Amino acid sequence: MLDHILSILIFFPALAAVLGFAVNKNSIRSYGVAVATIEFVLALWLWFAFDSSVSGMQFMEHIPLVKAFGINYIVGVDGISLFIIILAAFFTMIGIASLGETKDIKNMIVTLLFLQMTMVGVFAALDAIVFYLFWELSLVPMLYIIGAWGGPLRIYASVKFFLYTFTGSLVMLVGMLFMAYFYYQATGEWSFAILDWYRLILPETFQKWLFVAFFFGFAIKVPMFPFHTWLPYAHGQAPTIGSVILAAILLKMGTYAFIRFSLPLFPDASVYFMYPIAVLAIIMIIYTAMVAYAQKDIKQVVAYSSVSHMGVIILGIFALNVEGITGSIFLMIAHGVVSGALFFLVGVIYDRRHTKYMSEFGGLASVMPRYATIFGIMLMASVGLPLTINFVGEFLSLLGFYKQSHTLTLLAGMAIIVGAIYMLSAYKKMFFGVVTKDENRNLPDVNKRELVALIPLTIITIWLGIYPKVLLEPINTSVEAVVGLMHEKSLTQEAKSRIPNLTKDAEVITNSAENTVENSTENSAEEAH
Amino acid sequence: MEIGLNHYLVLTTILFAIGLVGVMRRKNLLMLFFATEILLNAVNISFAAISHYYGDLTGQMFAFFVIAIAASEVAVGLGLLIVWHKKHNNIDLDNMSTMRG
Amino acid sequence: MELFLYTALFSPLVGSLFAALFGASKKTKMAGIIPSALLGLSLISSFVLLVSVLSSGETVHVEMMTWMATGDLYIPFGFVVDQVSVTMMMVVTLVSTVVHVYAIGYMDHDKGFNRFFSYLSAFVFSMMVLVMSDNFAGLFIGWEGVGLCSWLLIGFWYHKESATWAANEAFIMNRIADLGMLIGIFLVYWNTGTLQYEQAFAIMPSLEIDVLTWMGIFLFIGAMGKSAQFPLHTWLADAMEGPTPVSALIHAATMVTAGVYLVVRANPLYDLIPSVGLFIASLGAFVALFAASMALVNRDMKRVIAYSTLSQLGYMFAAAGLGAYWVALFHLMAHAFFKALLFLGAGNVMHAMHDELDPFKMGGLNKVMKGTFVMMTIASVALAGIFPLAGFFSKDLILEVAFVENHYIIYSVLLFTAGLTAFYSFRLVALIFHGEERYKLFGIHPHEAYKFMLVAMSPLLLLAIIAGSFKMTYFEMVTKLLPATEYHVHSSLTYWIMTIGTQLFVAFAIVYAYKKYTSRDIKVPDGTSKLENCFCYKLLINQYYIPRFYEDYIVKSYRELSEIFWTKIDQKIVDATVDGIANIFYQTGERTRVMQSGNLSTMLKWMVAGTVTLLSLAVAFGLAARYSGEIKIFLSGLGV
Repeated sequence: MLDHILSILIFFPALAAVLGFAVNKNSIRSYGVAVATIEFVLALWLWFAFDSSVSGMQFMEHIPLVKAFGINYIVGVDGISLFIIILAAFFTMIGIASLGETKDIKNMIVTLLFLQMTMVGVFAALDAIVFYLFWELSLVPMLYIIGAWGGPLRIYASVKFFLYTFTGSLVMLVGMLFMAYFYYQATGEWSFAILDWYRLILPETFQKWLFVAFFFGFAIKVPMFPFHTWLPYAHGQAPTIGSVILAAILLKMGTYAFIRFSLPLFPDASVYFMYPIAVLAIIMIIYTAMVAYAQKDIKQVVAYSSVSHMGVIILGIFALNVEGITGSIFLMIAHGVVSGALFFLVGVIYDRRHTKYMSEFGGLASVMPRYATIFGIMLMASVGLPLTINFVGEFLSLLGFYKQSHTLTLLAGMAIIVGAIYMLSAYKKMFFGVVTKDENRNLPDVNKRELVALIPLTIITIWLGIYPKVLLEPINTSVEAVVGLMHEKSLTQEAKSRIPNLTKDAEVITNSAENTVENSTENSAEEAH
Repeated sequence: MEIGLNHYLVLTTILFAIGLVGVMRRKNLLMLFFATEILLNAVNISFAAISHYYGDLTGQMFAFFVIAIAASEVAVGLGLLIVWHKKHNNIDLDNMSTMRG
Repeated sequence: MELFLYTALFSPLVGSLFAALFGASKKTKMAGIIPSALLGLSLISSFVLLVSVLSSGETVHVEMMTWMATGDLYIPFGFVVDQVSVTMMMVVTLVSTVVHVYAIGYMDHDKGFNRFFSYLSAFVFSMMVLVMSDNFAGLFIGWEGVGLCSWLLIGFWYHKESATWAANEAFIMNRIADLGMLIGIFLVYWNTGTLQYEQAFAIMPSLEIDVLTWMGIFLFIGAMGKSAQFPLHTWLADAMEGPTPVSALIHAATMVTAGVYLVVRANPLYDLIPSVGLFIASLGAFVALFAASMALVNRDMKRVIAYSTLSQLGYMFAAAGLGAYWVALFHLMAHAFFKALLFLGAGNVMHAMHDELDPFKMGGLNKVMKGTFVMMTIASVALAGIFPLAGFFSKDLILEVAFVENHYIIYSVLLFTAGLTAFYSFRLVALIFHGEERYKLFGIHPHEAYKFMLVAMSPLLLLAIIAGSFKMTYFEMVTKLLPATEYHVHSSLTYWIMTIGTQLFVAFAIVYAYKKYTSRDIKVPDGTSKLENCFCYKLLINQYYIPRFYEDYIVKSYRELSEIFWTKIDQKIVDATVDGIANIFYQTGERTRVMQSGNLSTMLKWMVAGTVTLLSLAVAFGLAARYSGEIKIFLSGLGV
């Protein structure tokens, strides 16, 4: 069974979803919870069986689909994707378990299970076409969730979400086809297998063009400034569960794909585009944080904050060193947990008051103390307080990028200031002060069903903040392999120097350590001036 | 003056143009069928002429195909036309706008 | 010894979690007593550690577990008890134990009693992490942890707008500084390859001076935020919105001194960059004067004490900046005792006066509040630096340092400030405890605080009196770690002139303050007197208009800019572009659907048009392909 665990993880929810149509309406909820729990247990088993000292792919499966064009069903998992898969399983589980009163609950659960298939598929796929297939398929359930259960502007929001991301991924598809064509030219064989592509060393100009093509697909998904405007609409209109999954998992596809495709395939282009992307990321961090500050709707605040944090992830990825990339992968998990939890929390209050305007609240701390506490913890995690999960990721990402540029990191570090500003002011508006509105006086505190989702998230937030090692170790091993590959493949002098070389002999390391210390002192001195 | 390929081609062009104008201007469905017949026959003539010119029978064979298909098309078309006429009591094109986008 | 270390470190956490268990339930005395007892345990453990460090000179160093490890980065949860951290541990646990016990009485009637102790103990835990950590990352954990607790405690009465505003202000201002700190940490890591103090400091002498300078500057920016140095000082006065025990513990004795601790801890770094040190000292001297001047006129009892704290922090930085780290740490310690005492005394007065803060509305309270009166007076004497109380030893030492190091400007500024300090301290004492009983006008019946609160304060009283006598023991202990520079004025005559001169000056200031403010003419100011309308007074009472400047020019513009970003740029430009592109397609469809009129004859016309277009295109391309050579020549002839 372990040999096919990834396929099981991918297709079990889909199969269960199909069977779900036949399940009685009254028992669909427990059916959904059961399926998602089994899936989560399987994902945990995957983690248990995962060998964290191996940097390469594990649990690989290989089934030829279209031999003539080298399209195969290849799946596999490494330290980079493992935890996102687990996170996806986890969020589907608690999402279904804490699902509130919803109309057409059967459709909702079936859709969620389909969505789960596509999510796991994206992160497990090692063939570009299979990856693309799942990537696009994931749009469909999400479109349905927003369009069917969303707010008043749901049609606009869902169509915008769909078309925007779809356009981006078409450009990406073109890039993939070109990549396969280059592979064909170089080797005489067609292949869409990512691991095959890794071996290909492309000339710098090709790299740049392909990088840009992939970039469009990924950047819109992330979403990077200035492609971010679909996100607030999608979040604003989506039902709670939709926002949670969107923020926690779907956005990570973009950043994950950067690490899976852009970096190892185009190391020189990555270095070439590092500064422009870093600047975009910084704009993203500061600008969206300021926009978040101007919002009146708490869900929009969380949505924009989500974009702001994604900027730090991007920055970490383009640090191009082990610290930064590891940090950004960790931050993906962290961001998933924290912003997922924040969307849950917004959902809690929305269920009670059917409004998301902060001006409608005030003084909730005395009415709903438990809610205020959990919100407070998540707020602190979101602003990156040490010993919460977010801090580890942010710290490592920024630390990594500091190696590349001092000034830009200083600007990006503004994240911790602006983040605190919008989050604290939102918290103040909602929870502090005296209760002014009569509707708020007798709001019930969080109930058991909601706690099912919130308590595990709180525990994870603190547990992984204190003991991130369990995640960092496997991630680190895989990231080192990626960075090593990038260094080896890179052609330009610039890239060689920007991407650290990890395969030095011990002796060389000590020598060069002194050198690098001196070099970096010179660099930093220059930078500082 | 010997009648050569060019004359045939000029004739078919004129016929084709007449057919086109007919397709564009006629409002009566029956007349429209006539116009399409003219179009098809213009093409037929050019097929036959060019076929003769090259000494290759393929063109003439193709002309027969066209005639056969045109015949069946008219048969179906006229059938539809009659049904339409029975239902609406006219065959004016402007009244057929159920396909408005 | 490790056991004591862990006990000292974690018992506040246990206390905090214990109190948190009752967070949402009704007030229970246990939620106050248990954390206090656990803190007592922590105090005892710290004391044991202190004795062991004193007697054997050995330090305890433990590594609990790995926190982060990736690439070359390795950060453990490591804790060290050495001469410096044990001093801080003693200060922290002692003051916080006193404050905890005191708070059981002070918060007696508060609904959030349990919550309060949970926060307060959590603060102590964070502070312990801050001082005991053996690396910069651990320091940063504590650093942010105390920031969080400070946020929670300033905004403890969250229904008050001013309190929550002050809490957010404090947090955000600290965040600004934390960014500097973070950058400093990055600099340390990328240049030394480690964040452990020992290894990092060992490598630093081999680094270039520029890098070290930037390191020093960025780390000091962090310190500036936490220790509320100019220009990040405004939050401290506003933080007085929190309950008074909080002000005593966090905003006087411990958290705000974290910046000083950082500079002391990083002494190997700052020793290498004397220019930054001089900057720190100058800023410290400036802040000392600047804050003292604001304290002169303020009419809020707690704010006066807060400014005095700020001013004393300036003294500490002046000492630390001049390389007299042990002096700075000594003043930190002494200051913690008498300032906490002063604040707790102020808390008693506040309770008695039903949360009235304006000393002009008090007067003559010494009759009803004997104990508090004695304590606050002694604390003020200690603060003013009169022999033989604690302040004399520590503060005079700083003056000597400035003098010996030949920084006469700093010296004279600090000397002048000493006079101001004495003046405003006794202005406060005189206004509160002497003179006419003005409170009667407001119908208040003051009463003394609970006995046990006064008893709880007594250790601080004792230490405020005798802390100076530990000077030599302390010196011998910490100089194992810190540079052991003794500061002696060379000629004994100069020394005596200086010391006695200072004492006289200070005593004169005290007498003057007493004379001025015990007189029967003191009325509750109503904004009409000549003094209140003079420019200087207005400048000072408005805190040099700095808060207003921040509000009008930074906060407001940030808010407006955010609004513009959202409504103008995000909606009108970025999103509108996207929608615009989508609209092009949409409009194209909308326009061309007219073609699909459903009218067969128009559709036929379109069909014909299409056929003609395609045919002509075919012909055009055919021709172009046939004559491509000629076209190229023609085009090149045109110079295309």
